[in-house]
Amino acid sequence: MSAESARKFEALEAQAVTLLDVFKRRGYEQVAPSIIQPADIFLDQIGEAIRGRTYVFTDLTGEELCLRPDLTVPVSRLYLERHPRADVEARYCYNGPAFRFQQRRASQTHPREFRQAGIECFGVADRDSADTEVVLLAADAVRAAGLKEYRFRFGDIALFFALLDALSLPERWRLKLRNYFWRPPAFHALLSRLAKGESADSDSAASELAATLGAQDPALAEETVATYLEANDLLLAGNRTLGEIAERLLDHAADLRAEPLPREVATVIDYFLAVEASPREAVDRIAMIGKGAGIDLGPSLYVLSRRFDLLEKCGVNIRIATFATEFGRDLEYYSGLVFQIEAGGSPIAGGGRYDSLLRSVGARADVPAVGSAIHTERLLACVKGLS
Amino acid sequence: MAAKLGIAVPAKGRLKEAAAALFERAGLAVRKTGHDRGYRGIMPGLDGVDVAFLSAAEIVHQLKAGRVHIGLTGEDLIRETLPNVDGSVEFLAPLGFGRADVVVAVPNCWIDVCRMADLEDVAAQFARVHGRRLRVATKYLNLTRRFFASAGVAGYRIVESVGATEGTPAAGTAELIVDITTTGTTLAANHLKVLEDGLILQSQAHLLAARGAEWTKSTIRLRDAILDRLSKAV
Repeated sequence: MSAESARKFEALEAQAVTLLDVFKRRGYEQVAPSIIQPADIFLDQIGEAIRGRTYVFTDLTGEELCLRPDLTVPVSRLYLERHPRADVEARYCYNGPAFRFQQRRASQTHPREFRQAGIECFGVADRDSADTEVVLLAADAVRAAGLKEYRFRFGDIALFFALLDALSLPERWRLKLRNYFWRPPAFHALLSRLAKGESADSDSAASELAATLGAQDPALAEETVATYLEANDLLLAGNRTLGEIAERLLDHAADLRAEPLPREVATVIDYFLAVEASPREAVDRIAMIGKGAGIDLGPSLYVLSRRFDLLEKCGVNIRIATFATEFGRDLEYYSGLVFQIEAGGSPIAGGGRYDSLLRSVGARADVPAVGSAIHTERLLACVKGLS
Repeated sequence: MAAKLGIAVPAKGRLKEAAAALFERAGLAVRKTGHDRGYRGIMPGLDGVDVAFLSAAEIVHQLKAGRVHIGLTGEDLIRETLPNVDGSVEFLAPLGFGRADVVVAVPNCWIDVCRMADLEDVAAQFARVHGRRLRVATKYLNLTRRFFASAGVAGYRIVESVGATEGTPAAGTAELIVDITTTGTTLAANHLKVLEDGLILQSQAHLLAARGAEWTKSTIRLRDAILDRLSKAV
């Protein structure tokens, strides 16, 4: 559907010039990463869910490739190509097509081929200021394109992880809850199971063996498992090691012995994840939840609150904004701030912090990274609709 | 002249012989027209039928496009290939052969893994230890994706495999598989076990009608005649 008429093409082109102009004036260098990307990186790091929405194909040499479903990963790869040690600050902007399969058939608001204009900011150690910079710049850009009425929605992934760290939980449950955070139905099932003290599969074949392991030390447990495999004529094959199998059985054994998760802890998590309010109110409510539970959320709540101060000082009307603790839960690569600019009931732009993505595409360690992308067709439709 | 009914039947593969035998029992034996190695035929027992011998995958595509009226193929292929099954085809009758289960199977040394729910935890552990996702070898990309999503398993990726899928875990190119099994012998020989709740689909050969085909009085009459005779022969 992308720009099928000459008029729409010209309007999109003109809008892109405006957007890029705003970005470039603020020191963001324009880049144009490849449209065709290796499928591996997307599938391996972002997950199979994205394959369902990505045009994946095999070329004549058998290499698995895809049409980029977004520009954040391609721009991250470009940064790493230019700076393999990921040790310099870099600010990039772009405008170009991205491709997503639409389950319900492509439409005006959900095209399969659309243009994203956006910014990515790498390596800036002062995360607060980089976060604010990106949010403000995204807002400046949509305003420059003519969008007059819009509102922000915010979330912060780091805050949930801080909550988990502060709660008193066995480490294996913390790991599990962290991982399940990205799959809400499984998360809530797990939480209620832990609170009820039910072991997921106390009746499974694994339970019997787990029970015999008890609280053995890992090396001994590994030996027990090896003996068990041999006795039952089970061949150890594949990439998972004896140690990994034993570790999960030990965790299972510990689950069987563990006291249930205190009701209050589950309640605190539920209350926390239900917070959705204007930013100031949300901060107060989260502080109250923490205080009520007698836990210290550390610097993350302060960071959140100061971020809103900064944004307000810079002219963002945060009174009409929303902060939701659950927001951002569907994109596994976010690690801190997440935000969205909404107009006319639909998201026009979105973004956030993704400090661990660069490690997934080849950096040796996490790299501070934050960015935002504008859905340019939607922006154009909105501006035209409002004017 | 009344419109002819197009029917697609397997030209090769595991359903071919059984399909031919069924048609014969139903008094609908197919005779090739033209060259013996050709791919067109007629049913001497029923006038007005155009038979196309096609590969299993092609049968699904022709049904979807409505270029044949009815076709015979496995439910697994239909569900895997068509994004909108109910909008594209109608299941006329199960045919009682070509039975195969599409299942999730893992190495049987994974004694800590019995159910789909375990996979998400294994995936998280695997990512922690090996720095990448669990790989699932399969040719059923869509069935796998839907089934795993409904089971809440996300930490995996698919590697496409069109043959000898059962060997991939031992070879180290995948950690687990989604594949068809009839007796379980091949799985067992490759040291694999099916998860307790890992049955994705119990498939068999079906007679299907294309919703997008041109349905006239005469083609409907022919469809009903074939369905009637096949049902009695199943």
